[in-house]
Amino acid sequence: MLTFVRRRIVSSAVPLVVVILGVFCLARLTGDPAKLYLPLSATPQMREDFLARNGFDKPLIEQLWDYLEGLFTLDFGESLRTGQDAAGMALRAFPATLQLAGATMLLAIVGAVLIGSWAAYKPNSLADRLSGLLSMAAASMPDFWFAIMGVLVFAVTLGWLPTSGVVGGPEVWVLPLLTLLIRPFGVLVQVVRGAMVSALSAPYVKVARSKGASEPRVVFGHALRNAAPPVLTVAGDLTVGLVNGAVVVETIFGWPGIGKLMIDSILQRDFAVLQAAVLITAVTIFALNILVDLCHALLDSRVRQAVTA
Amino acid sequence: MTVSEQKKGGDSMTATLDTAAQPEDARSQAGRTRWWTLLLRDRVATAAAVVLLLVVLATTLGQLLIGDLDTKQNLRATNTPPGFGHGWEFVLGSDALGRSVLARLMVAGGTSLSVAVPAVLISLIVGGAWGMWAGYHRGWRENVSMRVADIILSFPSLLLAVVVLYIFSPSAANIVAVLAIARIPVYLRTARAESAELRGRLFVDAARTFGTRSGAVIVRHIAPVVAPTLLTVATVDFCFVMLAESSLSFLGIGIQPPDVSWGLMVAQGRQYLQTAWWTAVFPGLAIVITTVSATLLASWFRLATDPAQRWRLALPRGRRGRRSAPVLPEVTQ
Amino acid sequence: MPAFPPRSTPRKAALALVLLAGLVAGSGCTVANSDSLTGGADGALQIALQQEPPTLEPCESSLTSTGIVVRSNITEPLVERDPTSGALKPLLATGWKATDDHTWTFTIRDGVRFHDGTPFDAEDAAFSITRAVGSKLGCNVDGYVFADSKLEVSAPDARTLTVKTKDPDPILPLRLSFLEIVPTGTNTTSKVREPVGTGPYKVADWDSGISLRLDRFDGYWGTKPDYPAVRYVWRTENSIRAAMVASGEAGIAVGLGPEDGAGDLGVAFPNNETTALRMDVNVTPLNDIRVRRAVNYAIDKNGIVESLFLKLGEPAGQLVAAGVVGHDPAIKAWPYDPAKAKALVAEAAAAGVPVRTPITLIARTAQFPKVAETAEVMQEALSQAGLNVKIKMLDTAAHLEYQLRPFVRDAGPTLLLIMHGNQAGDAAFTTSQYLKSDGPQSQYGTAALDEMIAQAGEKTGPERSQAFGKVLAYQNENVVQYAHIAHMRGLIGIASNVRYKPNSASTDELRLAEIHPAE
Repeated sequence: MLTFVRRRIVSSAVPLVVVILGVFCLARLTGDPAKLYLPLSATPQMREDFLARNGFDKPLIEQLWDYLEGLFTLDFGESLRTGQDAAGMALRAFPATLQLAGATMLLAIVGAVLIGSWAAYKPNSLADRLSGLLSMAAASMPDFWFAIMGVLVFAVTLGWLPTSGVVGGPEVWVLPLLTLLIRPFGVLVQVVRGAMVSALSAPYVKVARSKGASEPRVVFGHALRNAAPPVLTVAGDLTVGLVNGAVVVETIFGWPGIGKLMIDSILQRDFAVLQAAVLITAVTIFALNILVDLCHALLDSRVRQAVTA
Repeated sequence: MTVSEQKKGGDSMTATLDTAAQPEDARSQAGRTRWWTLLLRDRVATAAAVVLLLVVLATTLGQLLIGDLDTKQNLRATNTPPGFGHGWEFVLGSDALGRSVLARLMVAGGTSLSVAVPAVLISLIVGGAWGMWAGYHRGWRENVSMRVADIILSFPSLLLAVVVLYIFSPSAANIVAVLAIARIPVYLRTARAESAELRGRLFVDAARTFGTRSGAVIVRHIAPVVAPTLLTVATVDFCFVMLAESSLSFLGIGIQPPDVSWGLMVAQGRQYLQTAWWTAVFPGLAIVITTVSATLLASWFRLATDPAQRWRLALPRGRRGRRSAPVLPEVTQ
Repeated sequence: MPAFPPRSTPRKAALALVLLAGLVAGSGCTVANSDSLTGGADGALQIALQQEPPTLEPCESSLTSTGIVVRSNITEPLVERDPTSGALKPLLATGWKATDDHTWTFTIRDGVRFHDGTPFDAEDAAFSITRAVGSKLGCNVDGYVFADSKLEVSAPDARTLTVKTKDPDPILPLRLSFLEIVPTGTNTTSKVREPVGTGPYKVADWDSGISLRLDRFDGYWGTKPDYPAVRYVWRTENSIRAAMVASGEAGIAVGLGPEDGAGDLGVAFPNNETTALRMDVNVTPLNDIRVRRAVNYAIDKNGIVESLFLKLGEPAGQLVAAGVVGHDPAIKAWPYDPAKAKALVAEAAAAGVPVRTPITLIARTAQFPKVAETAEVMQEALSQAGLNVKIKMLDTAAHLEYQLRPFVRDAGPTLLLIMHGNQAGDAAFTTSQYLKSDGPQSQYGTAALDEMIAQAGEKTGPERSQAFGKVLAYQNENVVQYAHIAHMRGLIGIASNVRYKPNSASTDELRLAEIHPAE
């Protein structure tokens, strides 16, 4: 197990370096930030001062070197926009995204397992067809549309929920969570249903039933464990998507997460912050992938044990 | 939306349907009729096919019908609500510039399909082939491929989009390229997993011992088995790509006016949700209906192409037992 | 109020959807509650901005997002400009006069203290000017209002300040109204995020990314404002800010569009912004004046203002709005005459001008409400006139590449949609930027026009206004670098329990002292 993790970490190192280099190059391609930060009638002298102050006057290779050097001390430099420490800004924004993504995936998985199993229990029943249709519709709903509708109805018309923001009780979570939830939930319901249908018709379920196991135990004990791998894969990928960019939700609800930080720093040509933010998410995504693979291995060995036992 | 793009959209759509029908062509004429019966027996799948056909027709032939209605502005009659008071062109109302929403839906559908279909096809073909190759050979090729997938997945696709769309223009072709690249890892990983597993199977082993070259083994023995799964992933992805295109429009870097896509219509219409809901709701519905139909048809198709499951469709309705797992997609947001 | 998201089942999701669709389609959106929420739990007034201020550094306050919080709230200038009358009024200086052609002398107010308790004197004023103008800090205000001028500042005694300029500068006090005063000892090598000032509010708590709270400063020298505390939050999406005012969550929401849903709570005000197309005169076919005139005739300014802006604006014929020195009410918007536009293009084509060359119409995403629609209307109109126009929407940074010198090379013929806000109230700031042949935002000019601008800049009083008016008229008749669209009006959302009268400066300087609770 440990060897597996160690090997994965080592083999992740190269892609990580590629991401680090890639973001550096791509960011530089978006253009020179000087015009954005200098006053309208800046003189050439002011422009040169600005470039020198921020190290943009050095040859690209030297800038790259400075950046890589800083990486070892987690020093990404200062934000052009705010003058704050770039790594600090990324680290402050990250928990907000993680909380949102974590809560979303938890609800999506629990909900999808329940609904998906229920649908799979009686395939082609009305419940199955209805849940299938609705989950497909949910998966194809444009999220910003849903978000704005939610705000108009629940915050403005009904006045039940706050429009946006992060300060306050649990009620501030409702709309962002629901918006973020619909897609993963819709996709997962379909995945769970599919996997459960095959699992429920597999021989070991018949064996379990013949041994007199209760129905809930059959469904959630035996069948679900066998249906878990594809669900795990999809859920892992969906989580990666959420970590990488809940941009729309964060933008609409004023949620100070990493997606918003990333888009802002792209639009503001704030390279240092962008580099810090990308690195932080990339590391998380690699870790997440390793975790998912670990879970697969774990499930695999359990299933194998169960079969041999 | 230019006419040539329009065509492309229509063609690629039929192309998908053609490839779908291909295994059938190989068989007898009798098989063809059975195919239709199979489809007609499944009411839901039939409905989905009809809807898709209508969408394709509307976005291709519809063009001839509407002429320049989609760009004809009328600042004196903006945001007229849906209804029959203003002629058939305005049954779905008019938008903020007084253009017919119906006409724009048709043209926008063409753009949406001509972005979504090629993007999905490219990532399907590239990712699928690459994944099968990697999974078949295992070893370093597999390792490198998987790490490449990791890189793409952990890289903010938004940054890629902004760079490509600002440096080069945000044309449909570039959006297709960005979306296709971002989706390649999904197919790569799915195909690799299945192909790695198939590699150990007897029939592949046998082919190899008979000295078949690896390329041929992949094409003849692995691809046919992996294809249905990939196809299912592709339909789910079809929906994803349409929404991603819409999100790009939300951020202002998607399809650019005066071209129009469903995603752009939803994004632009969001500011009228309170005053002219129809400008955002209809294109949103179009996305939902099209993708749901595509998903339904794909799950039916998967069932129909699986020799072990096909009998289920042949059963009279009502006696049909449990369907097997049709959907095992790997999806990233 | 549901405490936590209900576990979503498809049925509930469906229910929610049906509810969503039904409510919005059926009833339209009525305003439910606009009650105690505005004040927030701590009695603070909540204000919804478009974006978080990147910094509160006073010398960056010519940036809208910084200035709207800082100016006249946290820090104050020596002189303030009344946005309505344009007159200069004493603030931290009680009086000023030109002692000779090159020197201005200011009398400094007594009894003013900074938030940290130190008293304010001429030394601080001199320090603030040297810190911001021509320093290594690269302050925005420096380039914005002082345009690289060299100032010689001294404080002969605690209550007197003299400023010497190299060239005569009749509007120096106006320029200084943009310069916020900070205490001696403020960092001169790097910018400060949370400044100390003399204003009625001081920075209390800045929770980056979430909110910024200002508390009333008890030692303020002037009249104390009504609200004990103010909290700024930021939401990028217009309709969300409108929703915040509609639901009573925010007392004020800035930067709304006509259809964002603020309804009766939206208050319109002229914001001194003018939209126009800048034509690249150096490239065919735009180098032909007939084509540029055709562009002017082709655009239906009235149609845009009425149907798109819903009357939040009026057709413009010049770059500066009414109220700005130099605005000439006699200059009317170009008439909308599609036939004439077509004829002019045809005439140019007949003379061998390649009018079918693709022209790029460049606009900035979210520059003003409905900017994309505006671009589409113009594109369509110009196509009708016989030109071949494509639209390109860019973000701010990419747009600036086209807007400012050095311009993007080999961009082909471009029409750049610009929005110019002259907050200083004097056309000198506009002409030096947009009309002079070497202006940072001008792609073309003539020697005659440059000469007129230079002469106008040295005049004062009504003569100055007339001279600049002539400059603007000359550009319309003989240069035609611009096709003006509209003088814009802003929309600000004000909750029913808040009283505030927006003025032309509200976008850049939202004076908290002018906001009161409604009785």
